[in-house]
Amino acid sequence: MKMMKRWLSCALALVMLLGLVGCGGGTDEGAASDSGSESTGDEIVINYPTFQVGTNTAAPVVAELVNRFNEEYAGQYRIEIEEVPGDANYAERIQVQISSGQLPPVVYGGGYALLDLALEADLVVDLTDVVNADPEWAAMYDNDAWQAANCRDGKIYASSSEGQLIGYFYNKELFDQVGIQPATTWEEFFDNCDKLLAAGITPLAMDTADGAWVSMLLMGAMVATSGDEGLEFMNTKYPTDYNIEPVVNAVAEMQKWYQNYTTLDAVGGAYENAANNFFSGNVAMICNGPWMIGDFSDTSKTPEGFDQNVGVATYPGGFVYDAPIEGMFVTKQDDPALEEAAIAMVKFFTSPEAQTLALEMQGMVPAAASVEITDTATTNFPLLGEFLNMASECTVRSNTFTGNMVPGLQDLFSAELPNLANGTYTPEQFCQILTDFATENAVA
Amino acid sequence: MKQKNGGWIALFLAPACILFILIFAIPLVMVFVTSLFDYRLLPRTFTFVGFSNFIQLFTEDNRFWPIFGNTVKWLFIHCIFHVTLGTLLAFILYKKPRGWKFVRVTYMIPNIISQSAIAMIFLNLYNAQYGAVNSFLKLIGLESLQHNWLFETATAFPSVTLTWFLFAGYTTTLVLAQLLSTDESLIEAAEIDGATSFQIDRLVMFPVVKKMIGTTVIMAATYMLQLFSMLYITTGGGPGTDTTNLPLYLYTTVKANNYGYANTIGVVIILLGFVTMTLIRKIFGMNKED
Repeated sequence: MKMMKRWLSCALALVMLLGLVGCGGGTDEGAASDSGSESTGDEIVINYPTFQVGTNTAAPVVAELVNRFNEEYAGQYRIEIEEVPGDANYAERIQVQISSGQLPPVVYGGGYALLDLALEADLVVDLTDVVNADPEWAAMYDNDAWQAANCRDGKIYASSSEGQLIGYFYNKELFDQVGIQPATTWEEFFDNCDKLLAAGITPLAMDTADGAWVSMLLMGAMVATSGDEGLEFMNTKYPTDYNIEPVVNAVAEMQKWYQNYTTLDAVGGAYENAANNFFSGNVAMICNGPWMIGDFSDTSKTPEGFDQNVGVATYPGGFVYDAPIEGMFVTKQDDPALEEAAIAMVKFFTSPEAQTLALEMQGMVPAAASVEITDTATTNFPLLGEFLNMASECTVRSNTFTGNMVPGLQDLFSAELPNLANGTYTPEQFCQILTDFATENAVA
Repeated sequence: MKQKNGGWIALFLAPACILFILIFAIPLVMVFVTSLFDYRLLPRTFTFVGFSNFIQLFTEDNRFWPIFGNTVKWLFIHCIFHVTLGTLLAFILYKKPRGWKFVRVTYMIPNIISQSAIAMIFLNLYNAQYGAVNSFLKLIGLESLQHNWLFETATAFPSVTLTWFLFAGYTTTLVLAQLLSTDESLIEAAEIDGATSFQIDRLVMFPVVKKMIGTTVIMAATYMLQLFSMLYITTGGGPGTDTTNLPLYLYTTVKANNYGYANTIGVVIILLGFVTMTLIRKIFGMNKED
């Protein structure tokens, strides 16, 4: 009996240890799982983490592309979406995965500098040969913005599907109430704001949280149109000196907007607050890109007929944001077949057909100049056609203010903006804080 | 006998020890080691810099001390006032006043709701434009007291603190359980000796639950040293550093890809936790046998 107990104890201990070893052994499997992929028989499954799900405006497009891809490559490749709600969460997750060296096979670069981070960690597949072998795909790289976003040192690492032309939207009814038109100069713009204010209408939708996207667009437009120094600053990747005249002046203006021209919840508010204020007619103007156009006719977000009431404009000084958006890239995998599947997915998702689909379903501006703006798109989104015509006449173009920031600066920026808004900081002090952080965390 | 079982004891302890080493000890050592490096992803850097990160943190980083101060303030507030609040309620409830069960259950509810949900609720309650707090002040004619509660320097810290300060459900539940399980003969004996209700609470019951209170203080301190999502969702640490604590600062430093410096902050959090736990255990005599 005693012997039996000993054997039993020994067996139990062994089982526990084996379990532990099993956990350890699972690390490799976990890596494959973390990297988001598995093979089932002959079919290669690509797990694709994305924030373009749920209420994200691109969600229907991505879902449709996944369906089409899975149909076209049935039995060979299959994409399974892994939902990561929130673009900031997605970017943070990918950053963590880069540091651990385990990335999903396909990463959407977007405006989060993920490509450079992944390249620095040597995790990105060089697509140069694959792209050059396909004339249609290669033709899309005959474009400076596309190259700036997707190429490094003459090599192709990513492929874009969307452009980033950004102007601003205005509420026609509120504009008509005070008899104003979209401004062509900044003096006129602020004159419009004063007229709206005098009529009891809040002129601007603004925010401070999550990088203050809406506010930044307006402030960045001022910097870009202030002259050569400002425009150069706006087109500099990872600038370290924010204490230059164009930025300080624009920050000083922004301080006044927070104090006079916007809603009470702008300080501390996120994009959602700003958008809701515009959707509900609380404010007259909001800066954002054409991807927002679909929301104007979405009755779950806006009142019936709201889309008829929205106008679009480019910024004073003939300015429009024309920022390159990093495309999708393929990451290095242990399994070459999985890399091939990932390349097929990137090619499919960034093809001219995919860009046309996004244009017609979402009003997304195509990344490739060769993709025509179809009648379906302008019928579905009349504002888009109008905006693209206006944008084509703009003479000043740049990246966004936050798009060039060193990693981490957006968080500091959001945290410090309330202090600028309430006057705790002078514009110079605010810019110095940004300068100190950017210098400390400079990216060579 | 002891020697005979030594091997078995070691064998059975082995899985737990190995797991502990893999999951806690090695990462802990790595945090300490990498805090001595300039360790970044972009540009990729991994250079030994000795104690430079610590020197920079303590002497050059003008954000560190206010953030450290916030963390310590919240530790004190939580360990002292929050636990006191929960304990006082437990002492009231153990006398089983009318409706005590209802209070016990409802007071626990905020503690079982996810922090993120609570944060969203408060973010909306405090909203400067449509929030319930400002709306109520307007309703009662106190518009002059309206604030952008979470984003003004004067109000941000107390407003954020209120999002968790009042909800001492865990403390109440644990202390109450200890009080209710105490032998009633103790109270009866004290009553026969002529002790007042207050004297019974102070001189009889408090010593009984002292160690349990110590446990809840440790839980409160741990909670504060880990506090993150509430701050991240409500204020993002702003305005400025007014509502940033050390974990949030560590997180933003990681986002700046400065891993070496982030781990330096991590070491400070670990040391602060160690000092806090040692103090609490000493104050509540938790190392002593009864």
